[in-house]
Amino acid sequence: MSEILTKLEAADFINRSFKPLPRSYGDALVEAAKADSRIVALCADLVPPTETDRFRDELPHRFENVGIAEANMIGIAGGMARSGEIPFCHSFCAFIVKRALDQITMQAAYPKLPIKLVGFLPGVATILGVSHQAIEDVAILRAVPEMAIFEPSGPEYHAAMVRLALDWDGPVYLRMKRPETPPPPFEPRTLSIGKGVIRREGGDMTIISAGLCVAESLAAATTLGEEGIDARVVDMASIKPLDAALVLESAASSGAIITAENHSIVGGLGSAVAEVLADEGIGLPFKRIGVQDRFCEGGTTPYLMNQFGIDATAIADAARQVMRRKG
Amino acid sequence: MNRKRSRSGVSILELEIVAAKIRRNVLEICRGQGGYAAQGVALADIAATLYFDEMRPDGKGWFFDRFILSNGHDAIMTYGALAESGHYEMEDLKTINADGSWVDQSPIEGQPGFEITAGSLGQGPSQAAGLAWALRRQGSNARVHCLFSDGELQEGNVWEGAMFAGHQRLSNLCYIVDNNDMQASGHTRKIMSVEPVDEKFEAFGFKTRRIQGTSVADLLDAFEDARATTDKPFAMICDTKPWDGIDCLQKAQPLAHFTAKDAVKWDEGIAEIDAEIERLEAERTQ
Ligand SMILES: Cc1ncc(C[n+]2csc(CCOP(=O)(O)OP(=O)(O)O)c2C)c(N)n1
Ligand SMILES: [Mg+2]
Repeated sequence: MSEILTKLEAADFINRSFKPLPRSYGDALVEAAKADSRIVALCADLVPPTETDRFRDELPHRFENVGIAEANMIGIAGGMARSGEIPFCHSFCAFIVKRALDQITMQAAYPKLPIKLVGFLPGVATILGVSHQAIEDVAILRAVPEMAIFEPSGPEYHAAMVRLALDWDGPVYLRMKRPETPPPPFEPRTLSIGKGVIRREGGDMTIISAGLCVAESLAAATTLGEEGIDARVVDMASIKPLDAALVLESAASSGAIITAENHSIVGGLGSAVAEVLADEGIGLPFKRIGVQDRFCEGGTTPYLMNQFGIDATAIADAARQVMRRKG
Repeated sequence: MNRKRSRSGVSILELEIVAAKIRRNVLEICRGQGGYAAQGVALADIAATLYFDEMRPDGKGWFFDRFILSNGHDAIMTYGALAESGHYEMEDLKTINADGSWVDQSPIEGQPGFEITAGSLGQGPSQAAGLAWALRRQGSNARVHCLFSDGELQEGNVWEGAMFAGHQRLSNLCYIVDNNDMQASGHTRKIMSVEPVDEKFEAFGFKTRRIQGTSVADLLDAFEDARATTDKPFAMICDTKPWDGIDCLQKAQPLAHFTAKDAVKWDEGIAEIDAEIERLEAERTQ
């Protein structure tokens, strides 16, 4: 019975195939909670879409569905964290960040409490349109002191998110995208706080990307490689703290940088990289790929990434332009 | 037959036929790619009463009275109704959810029939209160209706809106609560109970009425009561069951919050509604 319910529930919002989806993040959270009794999970009505169904079923006394009440969820988490618990709070990116921002700053960040915000449906990636899209969440939380931001580039990095969240001494924002259809088999991989991952080597230019845009960047790099442009691709899963050393080393070794993110070009990963370069006085051919400071509509993820210029084609175009400026 | 008459003079039977046709539209719109069919079906009687009787025409093809949809995905109700009134084409509505379609599952303002961009739950009641306040100040006698759901009652923002409306005695405002005991992850009563809904709104300065949301007669009574209430805002708590009356939806319960394309037998559901329409139409000719 519970298997069927889970399928029906997950069909809402995420699952476009009606087949079982991996729950890598949710399973890792259950394992972590079994090893550390301080971990509790809160959810604002979106249990299967945030992969917390197994936590609910296996650790019911440490799980609370608080209803559709995101601000209240963060307030409750503040009280729990002040009593020694480590609350993981779950909703969609748009709601957990934007409906609860003051609570996040006052009850999680300022007191530097171990409150872990877990958002699903990052950026434009949803059929539900502007209300469910989070194209400014990274910009908002990047400006909040004490906050760390991690975004996995695919399901193989989802389990690692739990470890990163626990390793950071304070509030964390995980920006997750559950695959809409069952992905090919994968091996879990690890990540470190403040470290980018070089996913492809190349000396002509560097594409620094995060989340869904990493796969697009790798595809763009393959196309560019066929044209004789050898691009390095960095997976900057640790958006804050940023791997500034890797940004500077990439600038020095490749001489041109583009950034690619499923987020507005204002205030996100692209801005973070630009800040590092400008602070060091480095001028080089540079371009930000992201949503062009506008609101978007709903649709399938590949359609939206194409429509709003954050797919492999857009990244490859930008790379060619940057290479022309590099001369 | 001492039932109250409708506002426009249309009969209860006519409104029941309209409601059945709205249900049919809902299933036809959802069958292609799935959709919020259970909600749309359950809200058909509210939609029939609201759009085909209670809201007065503006003489320009739309409505003089105002409707604020707070719960974005309940747009399926409005779509079903506005297809029946001829404001929308079924062919357009069937493109819902398709890439590039202008018919959104959670509609944005500017799309005909939608005053606000809903979808982030719990924001309609405040906006409806602000609209009612402005209309009153401007001397308009248009009424404002706002539909929201039991899950939305969990957002504090709803109660802040109600507090303002009660304090301001916005008697031109009518909240319609779809109390369907369902939210995304199960039964509202089990997850985070919002009961007693009627007593809560009374405490916030509302006159309330708790009715069967699928009874046209109850709805007509409640709307009349709302209009007759001149010193405070009104809240009608509509108890509905999201799968009421349609067997295939009932079988997909308890958690067909979003009815996936393959979760139900759409043809069976439509056949049931067609039989109902035939029965009601036969009653009319008697
Ligand atoms: C602020 C906010 N949080 C979460 C969601 C995700 N969400 C969409 S529908 C839904 C459940 C809605 O239940 P209810 O409001 O009772 O509406 P019903 O489906 O019963 O009509 C949720 C949690 C949202 N849209 N907005
Ligand atoms: Mg409900």
